[in-house]
Amino acid sequence: MAATAPAAQPAGGAGTPPLRRLAGMLRARIRNGDLLRWLGRGGAVVPLLMLVLVLALLIDKAIPAMRFSGLGFITGSKWNFGSQYGTPVKSDGLLHLPGEEFGALPEVLGTLATSAIALIIAVPVSIGAALAIVELLPRRLANVVGAFLELLAGVPSVLVGLWGALTFGPIIAHDVAPLIANNAPSWLPFLRGDTGNGQGLLTSGLVLAVMIIPIIASTARDLIRGVPLLPREGAIALGMSDAECARRVTLPWVGAGIVGAVVLGLGRALGETIAVAMTCGVALGVLPTNLYAAMITIAANIVQNLDTAITDKMDISAFAYLALILMVITLASNVVARLLVQRVSGSGLPVGRGL
Amino acid sequence: MSTRADPADSGDAQGKTFAPPAAPAANATSADADSIALRTVNLTLGFGQHTVLSEINVEVRRGAVTAIIGPTGSGKSTLLRTFNRMNDKVTGYRHAGDVLLGGRSIWHPGEDLMSLRRRVGMLFQRPNPFPMSISENVTAGVRVHKMAPRNALSTVAEEYLTAVGLWHAVKDRLKDSPFRLSGGQQQLLCLARALAVRPDVLLLDEPTSSLDPNATEAIEKLVRTLLPEITVLVVTHNMAQATRIADWTIFLNRGRLVEFGETKQVFEHPTEQETAGYVGGRFG
Repeated sequence: MAATAPAAQPAGGAGTPPLRRLAGMLRARIRNGDLLRWLGRGGAVVPLLMLVLVLALLIDKAIPAMRFSGLGFITGSKWNFGSQYGTPVKSDGLLHLPGEEFGALPEVLGTLATSAIALIIAVPVSIGAALAIVELLPRRLANVVGAFLELLAGVPSVLVGLWGALTFGPIIAHDVAPLIANNAPSWLPFLRGDTGNGQGLLTSGLVLAVMIIPIIASTARDLIRGVPLLPREGAIALGMSDAECARRVTLPWVGAGIVGAVVLGLGRALGETIAVAMTCGVALGVLPTNLYAAMITIAANIVQNLDTAITDKMDISAFAYLALILMVITLASNVVARLLVQRVSGSGLPVGRGL
Repeated sequence: MSTRADPADSGDAQGKTFAPPAAPAANATSADADSIALRTVNLTLGFGQHTVLSEINVEVRRGAVTAIIGPTGSGKSTLLRTFNRMNDKVTGYRHAGDVLLGGRSIWHPGEDLMSLRRRVGMLFQRPNPFPMSISENVTAGVRVHKMAPRNALSTVAEEYLTAVGLWHAVKDRLKDSPFRLSGGQQQLLCLARALAVRPDVLLLDEPTSSLDPNATEAIEKLVRTLLPEITVLVVTHNMAQATRIADWTIFLNRGRLVEFGETKQVFEHPTEQETAGYVGGRFG
């Protein structure tokens, strides 16, 4: 669009012939669709370019930490930014602070665990809410619930985090965690033991669930709303109950789309930073011993310790490495979801349906 | 279709035994009552303020095909969808009078809606396969009503796909999506699905209106083969279809039952002027 601007000016003024010719050429190009074609091409390349660029930058920044920690970065659990006032030392040709050590296992596991807890809670709740909005509630109430769902999706994560830290965390520490811990069977030690102070894995997972429920539910609602009436009537006419119709016909009809919605929520959960940082307890270099223990995620470590790390190149490199791992996890979950979608849509959905 | 000695049959308390085709009077106390599959008693149907049908009294013969004809808006579908209570959830739907299925009200408090719908099957205007494989489509109802053990499902699928003449066309792609079948094949699949739960009554709501002539002929031929085990009610806009497949014909117009009689009589010697006008193509 910017290319047309200089051409417009001379047309209004004296107007020199060459510029006019250029303007005419441009106009012709716009008319025959060239401009649109090039805009389209540009638009198509931008996302790809950005992804490649971000990946390349991350890898470039992460290389020193990769050489410094190697695979121990993924298998180790200790994290030490090193002595910030010490004189940098050299080992294997790499300059770094004394005492520096990076093991991101707690971060990686923490990220996966909080997201898993969030999904376990959010998926059934979201699908139930979506079904209720479309099929159970009277239209007006459904609209109100739907509007609240969208409002909830727009609540800034720092507010959810604050609520999690001040209100939800204490409730978990005082009521929920003891209840689960005291009643869990002894062969599930992960659910038993010290119930913590409300800052930890369970609180973070629940806060994440609250944040992704509106994403999954509103997408699922739109999908379910689009399921045609005829197959659902067929199910009812065959003697299925509403629940059976939902399970066997309505949900499978949009199965691929639901998987997509869940991945959207998962992506949000994996990368969610501030709400988790406020509720996880930031247990740097510690693997959580049970469901209630303080822990840490990739994003929480980066946001909590950036000011410490920023003074040292190796610390920053370690963060780039962390970020790279997060990106790989997110991309991998997308790929797995796509494969799932293909399998789902291959087994019975109308051709061309799904993502 | 012929092998009705299914293991699930005996365990299915709700499943009414099919009336013996040859001598319906032999094992019944009242021959007349036994020959009636479905009876409406002063049936009045409406939505909110609007009354669609009033005071319908009709006796649907067991083991025969009864066509319901009438102009658009005459209440054909409303009547048909009342028989399996598909209208129950429509807002504003109301009914007075009664529908007796095998002598019992379909709205009887002891009536299990799900089992009613198993006994009164339905085929729709357009094919509506479920988003599952072809064989799973056939056995969907069987699974819901637990009419056959898991390891017998493939036998059930084959039996009913064979019954509707679809077996050879799909036997190599039972696990495939039904949505790649042609419209006619999809409708046959839906018919197989409806038959697989062994209904007593089958409601056909303009079953061939979206199909080509060949598929229409296939469905029509099949409908006749369902007799006398199954009582068929068919709503149709197609007069010729009614004369081809129906033993009895109900003519509805302007919310009333105008004429009910044997198809031949209704079409060739209608007793009502209105019927003559409609079947003669003068209106509707």
